[in-house]
Order: sequence, then structure tokens, then C-alpha cells
Amino acid sequence: MKTKYIILIILFLVVLGAGIGLKMFFKPHADVSRAQTDFRVEAAALLSAFLDDEAAAAAKYSEKVLEIKGKLAAYSTLQDGTHLLILENEMEGISCQLDSSWAAANQPVLQELTIGRELTVKGVCKGYLMEIKVSPAVIMK
Amino acid sequence: MFKNLIIAIFLLATAGAFAQGKFISKNAYISFFSSTPMEDILGESNEAVTILNGETGEIAFQAIMTTFHFKRALMEEHFNENYMESTKFPKAKFNGKIVGFNKEMLKAPVANIQITGQLTVHGVEKTITVPATLGLENGKLTGNSKFKVVPEDYGIGIPALVRDKIGKEMEVTVKASYQPFGQ
Repeated sequence: MKTKYIILIILFLVVLGAGIGLKMFFKPHADVSRAQTDFRVEAAALLSAFLDDEAAAAAKYSEKVLEIKGKLAAYSTLQDGTHLLILENEMEGISCQLDSSWAAANQPVLQELTIGRELTVKGVCKGYLMEIKVSPAVIMK
Repeated sequence: MFKNLIIAIFLLATAGAFAQGKFISKNAYISFFSSTPMEDILGESNEAVTILNGETGEIAFQAIMTTFHFKRALMEEHFNENYMESTKFPKAKFNGKIVGFNKEMLKAPVANIQITGQLTVHGVEKTITVPATLGLENGKLTGNSKFKVVPEDYGIGIPALVRDKIGKEMEVTVKASYQPFGQ
């Protein structure tokens, strides 16, 4: 009787372990549009933070979810279909690659993009490489 | 006065160097690929930055490690946390030169070239020579390269348990479409 219980408990633990393992293995990518925002910043302020002290800014913002308000400087589509928005300054601004599934579901928002207009982009900050890289990103309503 | 003159000359000299034919791509593509019996592992970034100096044939690449994306979130996590230690070594760099460079290479159709230089990954610098192609494709200066790297050469320890899963060598693919810059 006792051994039967022990076997049952062991079996239960094995199934539980396998379940957790599989869940971790197939864990989906985080959905940035639903992620909690860590910082709300102005594009110009974010740029000067990285230009003044890249290491300190990277430590503060890298891998964090930012809501960045700034002027749209350029909008293009890369060869692989990724939508690319650049805020403030086309050469050395804030480069935001839109989340592909968000972009597919929000075509009307993309069609209304106007160069020079202010908008707010929410995305994961990746650090600085001639420009601030933000990906994946979504446009806030 | 004399100091100002030196600064002025220095500024003029650097401005001159800056204005001479440089080419840039801020969205170059870099991928790592490893085929294993269980599944293929592919990490891709299209956020690498590269600058090609059209006067000297010097070529530089930089990529932020966390911009590499994988099919599974778990792979991405392992790549950054266990293997690349992306917080400690956030960027990979390559600084090199086109072997036997001449300016005609920038105006000719795509041809085979060799590039030699220093690749820094995971804080370890190695000199490598890789085959590549460079030239005009649809009117745009385009560079491509495909080469193999051994993660262990860069101090990237792969636990014995998963070594077979990851493969000893990784194939690196680089694609860049350049545009003139600072002219």
C-alpha cells in the first residue's frame, strides 16, 4: 500500500517536471505592447543621456521597456519587411524596429505616419550604436 | 594662438577625412547558424552598423548582442545570459581591411574579395581572414560574407551536456547594403 503511494507521488513529480520543462522550452517571446513600461522619456533627453555617458545610460535603459515621445524623422521598410521608424535625427537618432505581428495588425496606423509629426513609441531599448536601437517596438495610440 | 592654429588644422584634417568617400549601413544583417540533429539554431540581427572607407578599404562592423533574435525565447535567453554574457560584453566588433583594395572594387559588379582583421566577440579578440563579395548590385554597393567561427576560440564555454546540440562550429552570415555617407 505504502509503495503504491510512493510510486504515484514519483510519477506525479515526473509529469510535473516534464510539464514545467516543456513550458519553459516553448515559452513565447514577450509581447511588448502588453509589457509594463519602465521609463517614459522624451526622445531628445534619451539621446543626450546616451551621448553624455553611454555606459551609464546603457546600464539604466538597456533591456528596459521605454515609452519614447519624439518627432518622426524617417520611415522605411527593410528588405526583410521590417518597418523601421527613426525619431529625431535620421543619421543619429532613435531607430525603432516595429514588432512584425503588431505591424501586420495595425496597417492603418502605419499609413497615417507623417514625417515631422510627434508620436510615442513603446519598445525595448537595446543600447547605442551610432543611434539608439529600440526593438521590438509598437506605436502608442 | 598657436594652440588654436593646431586645433584648427586638426579639425580641418579630420573633417577632410570624414568627407572622403565613406559608406555606411545602419541595418546590416548578421546571423549565426548551427544545424543539429534536434533542430536548427538560428540567431539573426538586422541592426548591425557597418562603415566602409572608400579611400583605404578599411571596413568595420559592430553589433549589439541583445539584438540577435531566435525562434524560441529560451534560446535568446541562453544566448545572452549563458554564452555571450551580453551585460558584460554588450557588443561584438570587427575592424579589418579588404586585401589588395583598390577603389575600382566599389564601382564594379559583385566580385570575390578577402577581408582580414580583428573580430572581438565575448571580449576576446582574434585575427581572422574571411572570404566575402563586394560590388554594385542593382546600383547599390553591397557586401556579403559567410564564414565559420568556433565559439570555444572566443572563450564561450558550452556545457558538455548540450555541446552536441549546439555544434562545434557556427556559420556566420553577413549582408550589408551600403549608402554614401558624409559627403
